[in-house]
Amino acid sequence: MTMQPKLKSRVRCTDREIGEVTKVVVDPLSHEISHIVVSMNGSGERQVAMGHVQAVTDSLVELRAPSSDILALPPFKRDDYVTTHEVEIAHLEEKVHVTPGEVLVPFPELEKSVKRRTFFMNFTHAIGFLIGLPIAFPILRYLMKPMYQPFDNGWLKIGNVGKIKQDDIGVQFKYKKKVKEAYMPESEIEKNVWILKATPAVLEKVYQGKDMEFRDAAGKTVWTNKKDMPYVAFSGKCPHLGCGYKWRQHKVLGQVFLCPCHLSIYDAAGKVLDGPAPRPLDALPIKVSAGGDVEIIDMEFKAGTKSQIRII
Amino acid sequence: MEHSSIPSTQPTAIEKVIAFIDERVGLKQMQAKMLNEPVPGGSRWAYVFGSVLLFIFIMQALTGILLMFYYVPTADHAYASTQYIIHDVDYGWFLLSYHFWGSTAMVVCVFAHMSQVFLWGAYKSPREMIWLVGLALFGIVMGFGFTGYLLPWDQRAYWATTVGVEIMDKTPLLGDFMARFLKGGPTPGQMTLSRFFVIHVMILPAALMGLAGLHLFLFRAAGPAGPFRGTPEEIKAKTDYFFPRQIWKDIVGMAVVFASICALAFWEPVVLLEEATPDPGDYHPEPEWYFLFLFQLLRLKIFAGEFGQFLGAIALPGAFMALLAALPFIDRDPERNIFKRPVALIGWIVVMVTILLFTVSAIINREFLD
Repeated sequence: MTMQPKLKSRVRCTDREIGEVTKVVVDPLSHEISHIVVSMNGSGERQVAMGHVQAVTDSLVELRAPSSDILALPPFKRDDYVTTHEVEIAHLEEKVHVTPGEVLVPFPELEKSVKRRTFFMNFTHAIGFLIGLPIAFPILRYLMKPMYQPFDNGWLKIGNVGKIKQDDIGVQFKYKKKVKEAYMPESEIEKNVWILKATPAVLEKVYQGKDMEFRDAAGKTVWTNKKDMPYVAFSGKCPHLGCGYKWRQHKVLGQVFLCPCHLSIYDAAGKVLDGPAPRPLDALPIKVSAGGDVEIIDMEFKAGTKSQIRII
Repeated sequence: MEHSSIPSTQPTAIEKVIAFIDERVGLKQMQAKMLNEPVPGGSRWAYVFGSVLLFIFIMQALTGILLMFYYVPTADHAYASTQYIIHDVDYGWFLLSYHFWGSTAMVVCVFAHMSQVFLWGAYKSPREMIWLVGLALFGIVMGFGFTGYLLPWDQRAYWATTVGVEIMDKTPLLGDFMARFLKGGPTPGQMTLSRFFVIHVMILPAALMGLAGLHLFLFRAAGPAGPFRGTPEEIKAKTDYFFPRQIWKDIVGMAVVFASICALAFWEPVVLLEEATPDPGDYHPEPEWYFLFLFQLLRLKIFAGEFGQFLGAIALPGAFMALLAALPFIDRDPERNIFKRPVALIGWIVVMVTILLFTVSAIINREFLD
């Protein structure tokens, strides 16, 4: 790499010395020095293209032109330029070394005797770590407080089967559930389940000849749906991604459960007929009194999984 | 008498104050450094999106802060306080609607900004880190959208969140923890609202400010990429500074965006649905328009079942983002001209057309549901 002209270097033409470098001009795109500005020993300044430069040494710039040629150049126009302090050109200082020499400040006396800088650096990190570590776990536990809750296995009265007029037809039962969250006053949220009075053929599809057992968190059975009990309750939550589905007339498939979110379709027994759902509708624990009052355990299962994973 | 011949105007009080500050902090040099950045090849309308995004964010912060004067982030007051902002507070409907349409404008401009950088090949060396930080900012903008629309606590809010968090639940290993962590429990409720509120008004704005600052810093460190055509002489001949031509274009861009958001807020003000409850009633859940294509994607049969869902909801978007992140490291060809990068051009068209098709089909599907 050729040397870059330095500020205050003397400038010599083929015949004689004409002055010194007062400024350098840098190309903002290539970051190369394009011109030097030469003070003409009192007769103004000239802007000299780097093409004129023959050689650069530590304190001397040699031009390949005679001094008369350089003097004949138009005077340098300062207003055509801005300093690099006034403009943002990235990485300029890495490419251009025009300072007349190193700029030095004295190294403080106290710093000279410090030997183990690395040790002190590591020590600083270690203390920072000792501050951070004890609060990381409390923060995590603090934020995790409400994440895992025990299941509620209480029975909820949700209505009377008297409103079901036909077999194998999904009928929505809306109910209110009391919830108590953290510091909040107890409130009621609206939920719904779909209940149908199933014919033996549909019951067979739901239960596949076996009673259905429901368990608590510890795995203990809390209720068993008998396989020949004609009323079936499906959780109102679509097992695909948790939306609410409807009982709808479908052009081809007839009357079905259809979820408007991602268009999962289930038959009256909850089996997937079409769409992206990974498993059938979730049957819930149900009991119906002699008078027709329906009670369920309000369970919820994780959506999107092939197997049922209870979350409430 | 010598002195009176020089037209020596005394500095005004303001000039004195400015000189005082300048002497201490180098104000003028700072201003010069900010404004006098050479734009290789000259200013362009295509370059306005970065500045416009900054403007949109500032307006979102302003309107967001104003909304918090009345909004209460609790399950029993969020809906009522939002309705109060819309119906009772003077210009509340306008500020809320501005905030709502501002988020839409943000997403549109992010798409435009990313497309511009992609098509111009401006993500290439030495600008890889600007691109990576930009992708993180894209994630934050999406996070703002997702956490923001739970806050009014209406049916749209509730169901979009329910489905969105269920999707997150499909992440391998960490999914269940992440979903419960975000919901603050097994199902959406007060804890979810609190968490989304904190994320929306504290964590994301702080992250965005930090990363946007880093984005700008890296941009300044590398310098603007400039046009992909032209010889160095042509580019140099057209080069101007950030101020005044580019700033002028930027401010026009901001004014257009501002006017558009105001017009949308005026003609399509935000209307809440019923208050959130786990019973959707007659409401057909649907996410915000910029998530519609993903929503429609999950309706496809190939993304059925537990594994299909993971594929469509986590693996595919994750792989796409990973590809974008890896892009400047895979694509090491210094050629920036988009017309000489057929794979990139076709890729961009395919992605845009796919998003458009899925969005349109989601909208067409609506009609069949009613």
